[in-house]
Amino acid sequence: MSGHSDDPVADESKRFFTFFNLSMALVAITGIEIVIIYIHPFGSPIIIGVLFATSIVKFIGVIWWFMHLKWDKIINTVLFLLGLVIALGTFFAVIYMADTHPEIEKFEVTELKNEWSTGTEYSKGDYVVHKGIYYKSKENHKALDEFSPDSWAKAQGIPHRITYKINIADLVEINSKSPGNPFFHLHRPEDHENVNVSDVFLLARSATTQDFRLKVRSEAYWTESQ
Amino acid sequence: MSDAHALEHHEPVTSTGVPNKKILMWAFLGSDCMFFGTLISTHLIYRKISGTVGGNALDIRDIFDIELTSFSTFILLASSLFMALAVSAIHKGNLKSTRWMLFGTIIFGAIFLACQVYEFTHFVHAPGNELTLSTYRGEPHVFGSTFYVLTGTHGTHVAIGVFWLLGWLVYSFTGRMSPADAMDIECCGLYWHFVDIVWIIIFPVIYLMEYAM
Repeated sequence: MSGHSDDPVADESKRFFTFFNLSMALVAITGIEIVIIYIHPFGSPIIIGVLFATSIVKFIGVIWWFMHLKWDKIINTVLFLLGLVIALGTFFAVIYMADTHPEIEKFEVTELKNEWSTGTEYSKGDYVVHKGIYYKSKENHKALDEFSPDSWAKAQGIPHRITYKINIADLVEINSKSPGNPFFHLHRPEDHENVNVSDVFLLARSATTQDFRLKVRSEAYWTESQ
Repeated sequence: MSDAHALEHHEPVTSTGVPNKKILMWAFLGSDCMFFGTLISTHLIYRKISGTVGGNALDIRDIFDIELTSFSTFILLASSLFMALAVSAIHKGNLKSTRWMLFGTIIFGAIFLACQVYEFTHFVHAPGNELTLSTYRGEPHVFGSTFYVLTGTHGTHVAIGVFWLLGWLVYSFTGRMSPADAMDIECCGLYWHFVDIVWIIIFPVIYLMEYAM
């Protein structure tokens, strides 16, 4: 790796042109970076990739020639790379862990207790209460004067609408806090950003938002409803 | 200057055959990599998770002066050439050339620092776009903290390098400078080039990236 001759003065004279050429190359590459930023010839990911690549090229050029690693013993390169590798490792680890913190913008649990009423248009899946019993509509229909059991099926619990809105999440967990009203729901949103869900679930007992705990995860970060 | 050349100047060497001073400098530069690595990581993380200010997306291009920063980048790159030539000159025993190259490096380093002082002053007092350590446009924001700490730490490194070189320049006028000082000047050069490569990373990552997004 040392690559030196017996005449150090001659070696240094040869290096003058190496240093000069390298300096010109560094200036040219920096110029290209700036021009790319001004004219935006590609999309952002490509531009960032180009900036990344040109920085690595310049970095290597300086340490290899200006800092004489090309001509020095390899132990110097190893020492420097050791620090560089640890720095890069720290960088990527911290970047990985620093994902956006999830924020629960809305979390509501409301019991659906709409009384059945004549003349109302019902859609398939709608829930009503009729004489203290919960029903689920089997089809789209308009309620007649009398309650028609053919259009309704008895609900196997008390319907509650659970609504949550989260800025970013890859996992959502909802747990019941009361042992007599067991409930557990797990959701892995396909689109992690702006998760907005409103769905009906059947519970054994009437409940409110305070009876549940919402836990949200985004990569390494967890957030929990109060 | 290679390690073998250093031996000709009777530099004390470690069992690895590398002069003590040089191996110490490389170990220091390796540790300084970690230092700047954490500062750059911190800036990028907070840039990512604090991307808004006052309800709007943070667009720091309103305040950046990319022409000035590009100019100071070219200046710093040019200073590295002077530094490499200074090391080359002292090894060849050409004291006059060494002196001129050291002088060139100091001047270019000082210009870089002047640009940074102007830039910071301009940022802090930009009408309507003030970027302070804790605010941007009067709203609390972390961008100023990570930006000033990172670029300020780099600037401090440049300032230390300028004073170190200034010491060598003054020493060159005492008549005691000789090729035996080549290893010391080379260590100074390693430090200077390191400051240059840190800027090679900071310039695209902190400045140009803002224009790429």
